[in-house]
Amino acid sequence: MGKKIGIYPGCCFQGADVHNYDILVAFLKNMDLEEVLLDRSACCGGGVIDETNKLIVYGLNARNIALAEEAGVDLYTPCNTCYMIIAKTKLALDSDPKLKEKINEILAEEGLEYKGTATIYHTLNLIRDFIGLEEYKSKLKRKIEGVKVAPYYGCHVLAPNEVALDDPENPTLLKEILEPLGVEIVDGYKNEYTCCGYHASYTNPQQKEQLAVKPLEGAKEAGADLVATPCPLCHKAMDGHDEPIIQVLQLINVACGMTPEEALFHYNKTPVNLAL
Amino acid sequence: MKKIKYIARIKRYNPDTKESYWQDFPVEVEDSLTVLELLMYIKDKIDGSLTFRAFCRSAICGSCAMVINGRAGLSCKIQAKDKIRNGVIRIEPLHHLPVVKDLVVDQEPAFDKFKKIKPYLVPDPKKVPDSLNSESLVTPEEFKLYDKQTDCILCMACYGSCNALEGEEKYLGPFQLTKAFRFIADSRDGVDIEERIKLVEDHGIWDCVQCQMCLAACPKGIKPAEDILELRRIAKDSGEDNPGTRRAKHWFADVFATGQIDKWHLPENAFGDEVGKEMTKQLEEEFRARGLKEEEFGPQPFDGIEQFQKFLKRLVKEAE
Ligand code: SF4
Ligand code: SF4
Ligand code: FES
Repeated sequence: MGKKIGIYPGCCFQGADVHNYDILVAFLKNMDLEEVLLDRSACCGGGVIDETNKLIVYGLNARNIALAEEAGVDLYTPCNTCYMIIAKTKLALDSDPKLKEKINEILAEEGLEYKGTATIYHTLNLIRDFIGLEEYKSKLKRKIEGVKVAPYYGCHVLAPNEVALDDPENPTLLKEILEPLGVEIVDGYKNEYTCCGYHASYTNPQQKEQLAVKPLEGAKEAGADLVATPCPLCHKAMDGHDEPIIQVLQLINVACGMTPEEALFHYNKTPVNLAL
Repeated sequence: MKKIKYIARIKRYNPDTKESYWQDFPVEVEDSLTVLELLMYIKDKIDGSLTFRAFCRSAICGSCAMVINGRAGLSCKIQAKDKIRNGVIRIEPLHHLPVVKDLVVDQEPAFDKFKKIKPYLVPDPKKVPDSLNSESLVTPEEFKLYDKQTDCILCMACYGSCNALEGEEKYLGPFQLTKAFRFIADSRDGVDIEERIKLVEDHGIWDCVQCQMCLAACPKGIKPAEDILELRRIAKDSGEDNPGTRRAKHWFADVFATGQIDKWHLPENAFGDEVGKEMTKQLEEEFRARGLKEEEFGPQPFDGIEQFQKFLKRLVKEAE
């Protein structure tokens, strides 16, 4: 078994989306990483608990990070939003000793402490910094050829700037992760960086619908067969339309030798067909 | 001084012919130019017809905002050399506003929305005396609540990069909502909170998709997206009942009960209508089709949830 990594299972890995958890576990296995499930972790707040109070968001996520630190691991989540919110919390606590002290006082009741030693990972920086691009490539067993793939980052890995995982003005990381899979990259398409709208799903479903189709249509216009996103929420918002979309982890799992069935393609609403 | 070579790729618009196109300007210029100085250089030396708006050149008047490499910002505040990507800087007018010519947009539609939120203080007679001989006191703590938001220079960089406007052009906009928050938070303001909240309900706070682009755009470090969450909180606390406020209430209750949200019941809880019920029922069918047992449909409390609940209660108390 390889290196250990702490898994933060946010809401997109449970209930209706429990297959995302299986996709994640398969990916870790393919990368020869050992999963340490942070099973007492709690919801990051999803940008909704802020509507109750921001201090609660800091507290919840300081606790999530502290759980990883207690287990001696870094924290990894594939969800763009979880990543952004947890990374924002880390920034806030690391730059404000008073806030950190206040939160630690409350955490002490559960026997926990936020130290600030754990790194927050999302699939993008996990592959680049934790696994390493070369090591990642060495784990891939076959090429997925004959398919034109449009990378779709989603918002929260590129904004706000303080937590961006790549140069927001010319990101290349997703392409660097997808290219070794053998697929042909189609980027620079219309609405490549338009939001998927997921976070309006409840507050204004029409708004969500308006936005979700824009990157899909842009990608198709540019000749892509398939859109690939690292974010399970973007995927949820955009799946089910005419143009197929897939999670990057699913594609990686296939390139690591799994069948589309094993990579759980059948949970995608819009069918994804790869000629393997 | 060091000179560097690169291409300024500028989006042009000619109002006479209604033509819009990208034009490349290869330049060799000092590496110390701001994007605005680069534009002035091009206007001066290469193409006198290039049109843009600027005034103070020191990030205070708010007239020079544009989109540079896909990200909105003040051209007078941004160093050109930091913006070269593969030998090119891409410059275009702010999005979501009608283009007048080249990089100049018509700000009027955004100002019209701004006016809707009553962007001014209506003095509260209890706080603001009408005689000039006595003072209207604001404590440092009170001011801290909206100090940052008063730095807004109405440059519209946030507006020009807002995703909510991409989906819904009637959306009020980020700086408009930040301003609404600023007056609600102001202890001297005499308008009822309920009334101020009403002003931001229609195509306002609930249309925002929390993409965070306004944070990335603002030259003053203002965070409209976070002010919008504050406004939603205030709407909830002042008794508003809609899918947004119901979602917030259930979200917190779910996390308190199990550590996670219950996505199974969230549609019926948030929408509270037939559509929501139908969505929850559909999920149920999906779960059954997958062979899940009923206790697997929603989250279950993790071991040690009582400790977590104590923690959460303390947090809530501290937050108050
Ligand atoms: S977070 Fe909301 S207000 Fe800010 S840019 Fe995104 S959609 Fe617009
Ligand atoms: S909030 Fe910031 S970006 Fe938006 S108008 Fe005000 S100063 Fe400009
Ligand atoms: S010219 Fe005044 S803000 Fe840039």
